[in-house]
Amino acid sequence: MPRITVDGTEYEVAEGRTLLQALDDLGVLMNGVDIPHYCWHPKLTIDGSCRLCQVEIEGIPKLQIACSMPIQDGMKVHTKSQRVQDARAGVMELLLVNHPLDCPICDQAGECKLQDYAFAYGVPHSRTQEPRRAGKKRVDLGPTVMFDQERCILCRRCVRFCREVPGTSELAVFARGDRSVIETFPEMPLSNDYSMNVADICPVGALTTKDFRFKIRVWFTEDLPGVCTGCSNGCNVHLGVANNRVYRYTPRRNDAVNQTWLCDEGRLSYKRINADDRIDHAAVRNADGNLVSVPYESALETAVARIRRVIETKGAGAVGMLVSPHATNEDLAVARRFLDALGSTQAGFALVRGRKDALLIKEEKAANAAGARAAGFEDAAPLLERVRGGAVEALLVMGHDVLAPAYANARAALEGVDTLVLLDTHRSPLEALAHVVLPARHAAEKHGTLTNVAGLVQAVQPAVEPVFEARAEGEALWRLGQLLGLRGFEEPHPQDRTGA
Amino acid sequence: MQKVPFVTGYLTEHFGDDDYATLAGYRRRGGYEAARKALTEMSAEQIVELVKNAGLQGRGGAGFVTGLKWSFMPKGNDKPKYLVCNADESEPGSFKDRLLLERGPHQIIEGILIAAKATGAEKTFVYIRGEYAHPADVLERAIEECRAAGILGAQCLGSDLAHDVIVTRGAGAYICGEETGLLESLEGKKGQPRKKPPFPAQFGAFGMPTTVNNVETFSHAPHIVKNGAAWFRGFGTEKSPGATVFGVSGLVQRPGLYELPLGTRLDEIVFQHAGGPLPGRKVKGVIPGGMSMPILPVSQLDVPMASEFLRERKTLLGTGGVMVLDDTVCMVRVGCVITYFFRDESCGQCTQCREGTGWLNKIMQRIERGAGSLADLDILLDVAGKMEGQTICAFADAAAWPVQGLLRHFREDFEAHITHGKCPFPQSFEL
Repeated sequence: MPRITVDGTEYEVAEGRTLLQALDDLGVLMNGVDIPHYCWHPKLTIDGSCRLCQVEIEGIPKLQIACSMPIQDGMKVHTKSQRVQDARAGVMELLLVNHPLDCPICDQAGECKLQDYAFAYGVPHSRTQEPRRAGKKRVDLGPTVMFDQERCILCRRCVRFCREVPGTSELAVFARGDRSVIETFPEMPLSNDYSMNVADICPVGALTTKDFRFKIRVWFTEDLPGVCTGCSNGCNVHLGVANNRVYRYTPRRNDAVNQTWLCDEGRLSYKRINADDRIDHAAVRNADGNLVSVPYESALETAVARIRRVIETKGAGAVGMLVSPHATNEDLAVARRFLDALGSTQAGFALVRGRKDALLIKEEKAANAAGARAAGFEDAAPLLERVRGGAVEALLVMGHDVLAPAYANARAALEGVDTLVLLDTHRSPLEALAHVVLPARHAAEKHGTLTNVAGLVQAVQPAVEPVFEARAEGEALWRLGQLLGLRGFEEPHPQDRTGA
Repeated sequence: MQKVPFVTGYLTEHFGDDDYATLAGYRRRGGYEAARKALTEMSAEQIVELVKNAGLQGRGGAGFVTGLKWSFMPKGNDKPKYLVCNADESEPGSFKDRLLLERGPHQIIEGILIAAKATGAEKTFVYIRGEYAHPADVLERAIEECRAAGILGAQCLGSDLAHDVIVTRGAGAYICGEETGLLESLEGKKGQPRKKPPFPAQFGAFGMPTTVNNVETFSHAPHIVKNGAAWFRGFGTEKSPGATVFGVSGLVQRPGLYELPLGTRLDEIVFQHAGGPLPGRKVKGVIPGGMSMPILPVSQLDVPMASEFLRERKTLLGTGGVMVLDDTVCMVRVGCVITYFFRDESCGQCTQCREGTGWLNKIMQRIERGAGSLADLDILLDVAGKMEGQTICAFADAAAWPVQGLLRHFREDFEAHITHGKCPFPQSFEL
C-alpha cells in the first residue's frame, strides 16, 4: 500500500485513490487534515472546478487540486504552506465577489461552508466596488426545494447528484461564465424520491428544503444520532432537535447503509414524532363503550384484570400477541419472554409493504422486521386466522399495521376478541376496537436496537422526551408481566425510568 | 477570387489556383503522393519518428511537439482510436485556418491520413466553428471526392488503412477550441474543458484514445513526408522549425495572411509585409499571437516570431495572429474589449475564471469611465495573478495574460485615465 506524508505525518493509503479520497477513507479529512473543498463530495464524481482544495506537492511546481490528484507512493503533501494559504484566500475572495452576503436572512447561516471557510481561510475585507450579480432569490425548483441563484457558488454538486444518484438529471448549469446559473429544464421540476439531498450537499444557502427553511435557526438545534424508521433500510440520520422537538432529519453518513443520502419520504417521517395524532394518554373503555383517559397504572390494572379473566376461563393459550416490527429488539425480547412465561404460542407481526427501489427504499415499511423474525415471530396472517376461529380471547396488539390492506380480514377477527390491549404511538381506527390503550414511544424516544434488512443491528437512543405517558412496549409488557405475577418479571424493567 | 496571401510558402503555394481545392487540381500538383508513401511504404513508428525529427510544433496555440503527441497514442487495437482536427479557430486575431480550409482542403485530408497511419486512428472528426459555413462546405466536398476516389474508406489509397473523416460544426463558443472543451462539444455536451488527467490520448472523444491537432498542423504533415525532416528544419529557427501562416490584422496598410518562416521578426511582418501603420499614424503596440497573448510595445518589435524569443519578452507565439494597434488607440479600451470577451466566453466551471474574468472586466470598465484609482491597478494584477495557472484549462491564463501585458507596457494609459478622471484618447475606437 502506498505511503504518503501530509504535513509531516505519514499515512498508509489505499491504491488507486485521489488525495482527498484517501484522506476521507482514513477519516482524517477536515478532521485533522484540513483541506477545504466545495465541489468534491465523497459519493459523487470528481468535478475539480471549485479549485479550493489546492495543495502543494513536493516535486510538482504548480499547486494541485487534492480532489483529483492521484496518490503516488512517497508523495509529500503540504496543506498549510503560504502558497496554499494564498491560493485558498484567492479562491475565497473570488467566490465572494458576487455573493450577496445576505447571511442575516439566509437560512443556511450557521451551517454554511461559505461562512465557515471564509472565516477560516478567507480575507476579512472586500475589495470589490462593483455591483454584485443579481439573480432570482426564490426559485421554486419543485415540490420540495427552493433555490437562491445569488447565493449559488456553482459547485454543481446538485447537478451531479441528480445525474448520478437518482439518475433523474433534472438540474443543469445554464449559460456560462459569471452568468452561469443552475436551473431545471422547462416542464421538468426537481422531483425525485431523493430530491431533498441536494439541500444537504449544497455547501451554501442556495438550495434549501421547503420543509425546513425558516423553521428555526440551526444554531438552536442539536444534531442527535438516530435511525430513520420509514422502512427496513435503517438509514442513519441526525435528528435536529430543539425545545424537545424534532425539526428535521438529515442524513448521517454510513457507507454500509445509506452512504450520505436519505429518501424524501423517510426524511419527512420525522413529522410522525411530533404529530398531533400521537397517543399521549392511557385509556380504557368504560361501561358506556367510550374510551376514557385514565392514569397509566390504572389502565394496566384494567388490562391485567381482563387478561387474568381470560386466562382463568380459557387458559393462557387464549392470550395472544401481535407484535410490531417497529418495536426494538429489546421490546421484542420482552414480548417473547412474556409469551414464554405465559405459556402461549399465539403470536405474529403485521407488516406494511410498499414501493421499493434499487437505492435505499425498501419494500418492508418497518425498521425492525428482521428483528421480529429473528425473535421468532411469524407473519400475522395465521394468527389472525386463529383469532377469527376463536382460539384467542385476549390480544395484545402493538401498533396498527394490521389495518394494512394485506390483512383484509383483520378487523373482523379483532372485533370478536374479548379483550384487546393496544400499545400504540399514533391514533388509528384500531382504537375503536381496543379495551385498553397504552401510549407507546417512537424510536426517537427510547433506547434500543433495530435490525435492518441487511441484518445490521443499529442502536437508537432518546433524542426527545416521550410524549406525556408513553412508554416503550417492552416496559409496558414487563409491568403487565409483573402485575400478572409471571415468572421472570419479578425485578423492575432495567430501563424503567418511572421506578414503578 | 482574390489572391489573399501576399507572401506564400509551401503551405499556401497553390492557394491562388482555384482548382487546388478540387481533388483533380490537388493531384495535378503532386497531391496525395506523400500520403501514398506514408500509407504504403512507411511504418507508424517511422512516421512518428520523422515528424519528431522535423520538430513540427502544434500550430493551434500551445506549440506542443506534434510527433511526441502522436507517440502518446496507445498501441494495439483493443479500442477504436480517433483523430480530431481542431478547426474551431476561435482566437480573436486568428484567421489562418479559414484560408487553409477554403483553399487547401485536400492538403488537410492528406495530413490527416498520414497522422491516421502514425496513430492507428480509424476516424477523424473535424470540429469546425459554426461560423465557418463556407469552409465547412468546401471541406465536406473534398471529403466526398476522397470517398468516391477511394482515398478515404476501407482501403485508403489502396493501402490497408481504413479511415474516414467526419465534419462536425460547432455552435459558437471560444472554449470549444480548447481540446477537451472541443471533445465535450463533439460528444453533444456543453463545451466545458475536462480535468486532466486523463489526457485525450487515453480518454478522448467518446472515451476513446484521441489525438487533437490543429488544421495547420495537419497541413504541414504531407510536406514533411514528401521533403523530409532536414528540409523542414531549413525553415524557421532551431527550436521552432518550419513556416507558419501569420494573420495580420488591425491598423495596418495591408492586413492579411502571410506564410513566413517561424523566427521572422515581428517588425518585418508589421512594417514590411503588412505595410506599416495607416498614413499619419504610428504603431503603438502589437499583440503577437492572438488576443490571449500579452501585447508588446512598438519598442519591442525587434523580436523573432518564435516562442523561445517571444518568451524572453513575456509573451508567446500563440496562433500567430498579429494584431496591430496604433497611436489613436486607448489601451484601456483594448483592455475593456479583451476582458469583456473573456468574461463572455468563460465556461464558468472554475471559480477563478468564472469570477475573475467578470471582476477584471468590471474594474477595466470603471477605469475607462474615469472612476478608477491607482489601487485598482494593483487589484487587476493581483486578480490576474490568482487566475493564472490554477484552473482546469488555460482559458484563465489566456484571460489574465493580456491584462498583465497591458499594465506592463501601457501603465501610463491607465494612470492617465485615473488622473484625468476620463479617457484621454478621444479618437480611439468606440466601445
